[in-house]
Amino acid sequence: MTQSNALRHRAEAEASRLPPLLARADHLAGTVLLGDHGRRRAGMGDDFWQYRPAQIGDSRRMIDHRRSARGDHQFVREREWQIAQSVMLWVDQGASMRFSSDTHLETKADRARLLGLGIAILLVRGGERVGLTGTALPPRRGKAQIMRLAESFSVDSDEDYAPPEHRAMIPHARALFISDFMGDMSEVRLALTKAADRGVRGVLMQVLDPSEEQFPFRGRTIFESVGGSLRHETLKANDLRDRYLDRLHERREELSQLCRLTGWHYGMHHTGDSAQSALLWLYRALDRGTS
Amino acid sequence: MTVLAGIGFSAPWLLLGLLVLPILWLILRAVPPAPIRRRFPGVALLLGLKDDESVSDRTPWWLLLLRMLAVAAIIIGLAGPVLNPNRTETGSGPLLIALDASWAGATLWSDKIDLIDAQLTEAARAGRPVAILRLTNPEEVNFQSADTWRNRLAGLNPAPWSPSEAQITSVIASLPDPAQGFDTHWLSDSLDYPGRARLTEAFSERGALRVYQTGNSVMGLAPVTFEDSAIQLTARRSQPGPEREITILAEGRDPAGTARTLSQATATFADGDTTATAELILPSELRARITRFEIRGQRAAGAVTLTDDGLRRREVALIAGRDDREGLQLLSPLHYLEQALIPTADLLDGALMDVLPANPDVIVLADVATLAPGEQTALTEWVEEGGLLLRFAGTRLAASDISRNEEDTLMPVRLRAGGRSVGGAMSWGEPKSLDAFPPESPFYGLHVPEDVTVSAQVMAQPDPTLADRVIARLTDGTPLVTRKMIGQGQVVLFHVTANAEWSSLPLSGLFVEMLERLAVSSTAKTPEAADLEGTVWTPLQIMDGFGALSDASTMPGVDGPALVASPTGPDLRPGLYRNGDRRLARNVLTGDSELTPATWPADVPVEGLAVQEEQPLGGALLSLAILLLAADIVASLALSGRLALSRAGAAALAGLLLFQPGDLHAQTTEDPDTFAIEATSELVLAHVLTGNEQLDEVAQAGLRGLADTLYFRTSVEPSVPMGIDLETDELAFFPLLYWPITPDQPIPSQEAYAKLNTYLRSGGMILFDTRDADTARFGTSSPNGRKLQELAAPLDIPPLEPLPADHVLTRTFYLLQDFPGRHTSRDVWVEAAPPDAEQIEGMPFRNLNDGVTPVVIGGNDWAAAWAVDSQGRALLPVGRGFSGERQRELAYRFGVNLVMHVLTGNYKSDQVHVPALLDRLGQ
Repeated sequence: MTQSNALRHRAEAEASRLPPLLARADHLAGTVLLGDHGRRRAGMGDDFWQYRPAQIGDSRRMIDHRRSARGDHQFVREREWQIAQSVMLWVDQGASMRFSSDTHLETKADRARLLGLGIAILLVRGGERVGLTGTALPPRRGKAQIMRLAESFSVDSDEDYAPPEHRAMIPHARALFISDFMGDMSEVRLALTKAADRGVRGVLMQVLDPSEEQFPFRGRTIFESVGGSLRHETLKANDLRDRYLDRLHERREELSQLCRLTGWHYGMHHTGDSAQSALLWLYRALDRGTS
Repeated sequence: MTVLAGIGFSAPWLLLGLLVLPILWLILRAVPPAPIRRRFPGVALLLGLKDDESVSDRTPWWLLLLRMLAVAAIIIGLAGPVLNPNRTETGSGPLLIALDASWAGATLWSDKIDLIDAQLTEAARAGRPVAILRLTNPEEVNFQSADTWRNRLAGLNPAPWSPSEAQITSVIASLPDPAQGFDTHWLSDSLDYPGRARLTEAFSERGALRVYQTGNSVMGLAPVTFEDSAIQLTARRSQPGPEREITILAEGRDPAGTARTLSQATATFADGDTTATAELILPSELRARITRFEIRGQRAAGAVTLTDDGLRRREVALIAGRDDREGLQLLSPLHYLEQALIPTADLLDGALMDVLPANPDVIVLADVATLAPGEQTALTEWVEEGGLLLRFAGTRLAASDISRNEEDTLMPVRLRAGGRSVGGAMSWGEPKSLDAFPPESPFYGLHVPEDVTVSAQVMAQPDPTLADRVIARLTDGTPLVTRKMIGQGQVVLFHVTANAEWSSLPLSGLFVEMLERLAVSSTAKTPEAADLEGTVWTPLQIMDGFGALSDASTMPGVDGPALVASPTGPDLRPGLYRNGDRRLARNVLTGDSELTPATWPADVPVEGLAVQEEQPLGGALLSLAILLLAADIVASLALSGRLALSRAGAAALAGLLLFQPGDLHAQTTEDPDTFAIEATSELVLAHVLTGNEQLDEVAQAGLRGLADTLYFRTSVEPSVPMGIDLETDELAFFPLLYWPITPDQPIPSQEAYAKLNTYLRSGGMILFDTRDADTARFGTSSPNGRKLQELAAPLDIPPLEPLPADHVLTRTFYLLQDFPGRHTSRDVWVEAAPPDAEQIEGMPFRNLNDGVTPVVIGGNDWAAAWAVDSQGRALLPVGRGFSGERQRELAYRFGVNLVMHVLTGNYKSDQVHVPALLDRLGQ
């Protein structure tokens, strides 16, 4: 009895987290749609996009005879989103993401999930199939997939720095990795080279807290990772600042270098900035990848 | 108790703890502050980084200093520091506390009592027997325990006299034998008196003598005298010090019988001088009310001087030679004299021989030529005793032979026959005016008005003595007033009549002033001892040492000579004494008494009166230590970055403090003067604050728009409009009140309604605006209308009617027939025309009621149509397009007409007479 009660209580608490994330992601996605694609979808048929005159290289099979019979020219019926892309998301659920330096800022995990779900909504509306890397949630279409994504996003991982999930990547699909990339770089390198081997291209989105960019600490300090697995003690934190920033810069250089090699896009986002611009950038970056 | 640097310590060994401080400094410096734990995902990047220095941040020097100070304060505080430690070595054996206890010490009496109390405490601690001896009131010296004396301290009071020679002798006689020996503490009043040296010697013989006295000068006030119509005040001080100004208060009862300060004078002791004088010139009526003078700030009998008969109203006997013309009051020779003297003197009526026994101060003989021999003798006697005989000339005196060939005793000069007349109908020349008064004249300094002229006078015979006796003359040099001294008294002759027959002098204010000068100079002198032989004076009121008066009906009488000549003492207390109708004041100081400072032999130690109380400092230091430690906690937190939250809070708090909320209706919080000045320095339109913020803002903006319009178009230049709180603000400053109605505004209080009714009756106007003309007509059809009825019910509003087409409001500035605001209803109600007003043929309008209508009631929401923002742009839309702008314009015109109507009244209605005027001009 008590067990089932507790389970139900937890389930409801979990469920209550979904609608706000969904609503916010939906809202965020809506703003992007309005600005970029607005009327392209409304009132149109299922797949029809436009007629265009037949060009050399078009196979005769593609000629739309109903339209061509009305005149002397031959037209080809173009369809939109003829080939549905599969987009696979990996959003870092590690403990290091559950950090914010100020009560006014949301945690990196919240921002990462928001962006991930937002781009998923956009892609699903565009007709793409969206899923997670790994075997947990293979790419599918439809609104139900959004619900499933939101559900799996609301599971926290206990690992301090979660490695990218690179199993079961569909060849020539698209991928989106959102993380702070503070963990082991070899895992990232492995994931990206593996993806490149399979012809998967995509976007790396690094989400950082402003304090991680500024290191505003002084005096005798013990730094601990959020999960508590790592610890570093210093007597003069302000002396470490420059060296820390150098290392952060190095890490960023390494990431973008990796992206250049593998044909991925690399993006930076701070939780202090607006989520909308990041989503817009993500959408464009993925758009370039899919078209 | 150990004393270091003026501060005593009860546990001085604890101060050695201060040596620990430098060690503590080193230790505290070496220990780094506690580390802070921070969650930080970027720690992965930090791994492997080494600190450059092995030593961490040191504790900042100011924090160390703070902690050092705290520790030092604790150590010193625990050592028991005491400020002003009592260091006087206590003696042993009996102690005699001798007090002068004269009036001179009364001002600082409470200090003396404190000092005695402190000495008694000390004596009680040392177990010494004590005796207290008052030198002004000596008793048997009787050594008792100090506590017995402490119970009797409250009963010690200063006496209003100084110790006398006889008292000193008795004190010395009563002192115990020198062999017995005792210490003496002498609380002196800093004044010398006979026998003090002997007493000093006697005390010194018997033991250690220590004198306590204040370094301040003792001040006293000598009895007042009267010279040259001014009250002469003389203050004395015992020591010639630096320049000092004192204020002397004249106290008495006002006409309502309340004791109060009637006047005051300022006297200045010059540098190094011991005497200060002041003159006080007062109207005699006021002067007669003064009962005492005192030096402000002094609370001693010597600083008070009582007044007696000297300030009484003078008795004046008026005797005319001619009483046959009954009923012609203005021609009566005594009329002007009576009028001039009644306010300041007691007038005596009756025959000369009946009046003389009453011993008046002044006898006036108006045109009395001859006196019976008996009268002459009695009058001469009276004058020689100090009376003032005032004679006026007249036809009778001019016609008589008195003082013709030989100077009459009671005439100051010889007279020529017949007198002279100048400037009359039958004579040449102009009436003569008065010359300025010569300096030796008692009238010197009086202003001579131009319009005082003399047309007839009696002429003095030239005599060797004439020049000395003239105290006023005409511009041609002939004497107008002459005076002769006889014995203590004098005879004064005005060479004109006492009425306005011969001159206009009695009609002028100069006449009154001249009489006053003469009457004052006849003040009774202070009596000599010989004059009082054989009289007994009963005390009415006596003074105590502090100068306060008390009833003395139980005191025995005093012999007259003793009252004046004897020194004051237990048998002759200063105060007010009476014998029959006469009153005599005996003051502490007499006219010639000096205040001599006491000087002491060099071997007698002299100390001040101040008692220095011991003040333990331990508690204050320990509190300081706690405060410092608290500051250290805050500083440590701030230093280690744990104070971020509270820092934000502090910033918010500072912001809150800096933020001064601007008050739209600031005048309600200001003081009434500022409000009155703001409201009256320029014309100000006002609106009633309804409590509805939005409505009040629109009303304010509306009146601002109307004020701007008035400023641009008319000569009315109103200032910034004001919101008025009916309960607190004065309404009388505002010609027009705009009162928007809202259903939820509070009903004013009874007081506010009283103010509103006064305002309406005294010419104010209220413009009621229900603001609902678009939806409702008047009556109870709308909530605003019902509220208006409720609000206006207690107001004093005359019968109303809809604004008639010929009302003056339609033409005070613009010619108008519509009065739109934001709405365009024609329902505007004003005070009804009188029922008898009729239109006359050929006139454009009726001759309507006078005055301004006290209320205008409408619902057109005028303020909204007038409203502009601070840039002068219309705030709210009115109507549509051009017709809307036209409607706004008409709304402004209505406002202009309204203000013009309030300010100019019904003057435009005077045009009703234009046809008649044109007709009269013949056009």
